[in-house]
Amino acid sequence: MADTALLGSSGGGFPRPGGTAVVPRAGRWRGAGFWLVRRIGSAVFVLWAVATLIFLAIRLIPGDPAEAIMGGPGSQASAAALEAARAEYGLDEPLWVQYLSQLGRLATGDLGTSYALKVPVVQLLADQLPGTLGLAVGAWVLAWILALGLALWSGLGGRGAAVVGSALEIAAASVPHFWLGSVLVLLFSTAWGWLPPVSNGSAAGLVMPVVTLALPLAGFLGQVMRESMLTAMNSPFALSAHARGESESGVVLRHALRHAALPGVALSGWALGSLVSGAVVVESIFARPGLGRSLLQAVTLRDVPLVTGVALVSALAYVVVMAVSELAERAIDPRTRDR
Amino acid sequence: MPAIPRSARPATTVAGLLAAALLLAGCAGSGGNGEPSAAGDPASGGTLVYASGDAEPTCLDPHVGGNYPQALLAGQYLETLYTKDDDGRIIPWLASGAEASADGKTWTLKLRDGITFTDGTAFDAATVKANIEHLQDPDTASSTGYLAVAKIKTMDVVDDTTLKLNLSAPDSALLESFSMPWVAMESAKALARSQAENCASPVGTGPFTVKKWTKQDSVELVRNEDYTPPVKGAGHDGPAYLEGITWKFIPEAATRYAALQSGTVDIIDNAQPDTIKSAEGSDNIGHLDAPRPGASNRIELNSSKAPFDDEKVREAFVRAVNVDDGISSLFFDTAKRSYSALSSVEPMGYSDPSLFGRDLQEANRLLDAAGWDQRDAAGYRTKDGKRLTLSFPVSTNQSVPAEQSLFQQLQATAKEAGFEVKLHLLDLSSWYGVLGENDYDLVSAPYTKVGPDVLRTLFHTSNTVPAPSGYFSNHAQVKDKKLDALLESANATTDQQERKDKYTQAQQIVLGGYYILPLYDQQNHFLYGPKVQGVGATTAVASPTFHDTWLQD
Repeated sequence: MADTALLGSSGGGFPRPGGTAVVPRAGRWRGAGFWLVRRIGSAVFVLWAVATLIFLAIRLIPGDPAEAIMGGPGSQASAAALEAARAEYGLDEPLWVQYLSQLGRLATGDLGTSYALKVPVVQLLADQLPGTLGLAVGAWVLAWILALGLALWSGLGGRGAAVVGSALEIAAASVPHFWLGSVLVLLFSTAWGWLPPVSNGSAAGLVMPVVTLALPLAGFLGQVMRESMLTAMNSPFALSAHARGESESGVVLRHALRHAALPGVALSGWALGSLVSGAVVVESIFARPGLGRSLLQAVTLRDVPLVTGVALVSALAYVVVMAVSELAERAIDPRTRDR
Repeated sequence: MPAIPRSARPATTVAGLLAAALLLAGCAGSGGNGEPSAAGDPASGGTLVYASGDAEPTCLDPHVGGNYPQALLAGQYLETLYTKDDDGRIIPWLASGAEASADGKTWTLKLRDGITFTDGTAFDAATVKANIEHLQDPDTASSTGYLAVAKIKTMDVVDDTTLKLNLSAPDSALLESFSMPWVAMESAKALARSQAENCASPVGTGPFTVKKWTKQDSVELVRNEDYTPPVKGAGHDGPAYLEGITWKFIPEAATRYAALQSGTVDIIDNAQPDTIKSAEGSDNIGHLDAPRPGASNRIELNSSKAPFDDEKVREAFVRAVNVDDGISSLFFDTAKRSYSALSSVEPMGYSDPSLFGRDLQEANRLLDAAGWDQRDAAGYRTKDGKRLTLSFPVSTNQSVPAEQSLFQQLQATAKEAGFEVKLHLLDLSSWYGVLGENDYDLVSAPYTKVGPDVLRTLFHTSNTVPAPSGYFSNHAQVKDKKLDALLESANATTDQQERKDKYTQAQQIVLGGYYILPLYDQQNHFLYGPKVQGVGATTAVASPTFHDTWLQD
């Protein structure tokens, strides 16, 4: 679902020029109120847009949703059975009636019942969310650790480290999840037998999926972080810090690291998209239960309510991540606080 | 390698186990595919971990929908009225026999006494009636099983063990239909629950019961302690050796095999040619080759429109492509070439290799004779300025990677005769969409069904008419009155010799008309680890059953 990243109205990641005036306390609270209203407004818009796009998209691709109810594509179900299914799920209504009634249901938080599994979508999402959340958060944390570590190392380690770090990042950023996962299974399970090839509930079972998901993201984040850090290290304020007698590592840790983290934070929405789309692949390779596999199955079967449900959860996660990353940017970069 | 022959419900306890041991030993001797040690006495206990590469069923009741993944699972907890013996003959299982009236329109079905469902309800004539009604109810949303019982119009419960079936027309395939898991018997009390409930925990008479279904992860099955096979001597008496089965879903073929090698799982299905080959070199992995019944895997040639409305062009294509080299290089000889419309496990299958020999010269001669006698700059044949192009939609859900590669090799060899084959890889819904619009010249679609009546499904004129969903089964679009008449009369007669004659003639028409290019049986390979003993029994649709299976320490 990387495309959800295109739908959001980003708060923007870079400081406005010239905005340095100190905002009075009351004004800051009013600012926070506006910020919240703006955020909620854009969240509602994103969710509506996602619901609408999914509704249209799933009807533009080949396949009849009624067949999902009847056991999947190419169903040999009789006319009577298909009719009964259409009537039961309101698929015999005109398209705009279906659309409005779906929006009405969604507005009240009712995600409907899965066509294929005949179970409320909310229940399915609740069952599958923790698995994907654990995977995504684990991968995200690991990616940050690796990316920051690489950025620091290449920032402090001189020219040689910069070259090696850059090569590692490019390699990591360009490996597809599918290939990486398969290679890890071949090495760590088949050849050496160190790790279980499928999730078995243990912590060891989480290692390969998390690493598979984290490495490409770490490579990408590492690239932007290192670049930003090197720019900072060569800027006048770094020079003046050096002139004040600050050590090299002090400059890196106290000043340049902030600059390195900023683009990483600004890319959080994109990172989420990468994690969600990666989860589809990783959950299949390592046979982990989760939203990614739900989505794959739901799209194959044209299970409209489940596709919509997963898309909405992803969109909601995107909105939340964008809001949090904007707050984080403010915390890291004082220049952005007056917005 | 020589496959372990599939054996349905071994004939006697001792003989069954002995046979299993011999089969394994035979396999070790000739194929280098050894069992670790000679099987000792069966030990009770332990949980078998099964890893399926098929899509996770959306409902565990195979009446609803009705596909092979459901059959694989349901064979553990549901049983059928009929099944197949080792020789592929249909034998009574939950039923004790059936008799048709002289006009073939009334069947008297006799049932075994004293069989109980795992919810405590008795198996009787009223239960069978309730099951058939459940299949016929549109609300059940059956898309497979209901076809098998479509001709049953009304049913009369004569007594607890006798049910009279009144048919709208004679149906010699009825007992074969009753052997399929999609028509398995479930507790009437359980069927009366909501569909969601019954999908999550169907209740049958089988050696295991469904305990828990964790979606996208596993289905937990536990032993039915009161079970004993309804047919004396079909496997050991009494409950299964295994305490339970954990049925996992591992979609990735490489991960599945890695899980087997590491001992995380005990048995895997959908083993791919490369892993079967690699397992052959391993000392502790066993192999069960259980081709599915019904149709062979074949490429169907759409005879409803140009260029394949001309038999000469169809024959030219069949003569031009090199199937054998593709199979041996891509399937590593794990699949045997077929020259039949039917699976090799179908006793009434008819095979004619002479029709399918590769002959490029003959192909060129036929195309010249059919008027495709020009070649364009790219080397493809043309007629009236139109290129000889064939559209070949391929379902990525139904064709394994080795088969997709085979199609690419056929594409390359067809080019030598001047055919331009365009392969389109499509997801399942899009693929059905293209078929529904008649936008294809070549297609390959599996079809699993017990018995030769599958020929009527695949080649009768009436099955060129799409179902409401757009689905139809006669992809070659054969419309031949003589063939229709043969298929109908074969379906109407219960005289086995007459049936066989008619089906043989029907298959001669199909093969001789070059409507299909047979490839191999529908592949169904299982690999299992060193602990697993007593694998081999299958249902009538070649899905393994584990009543006789046990784990060695």
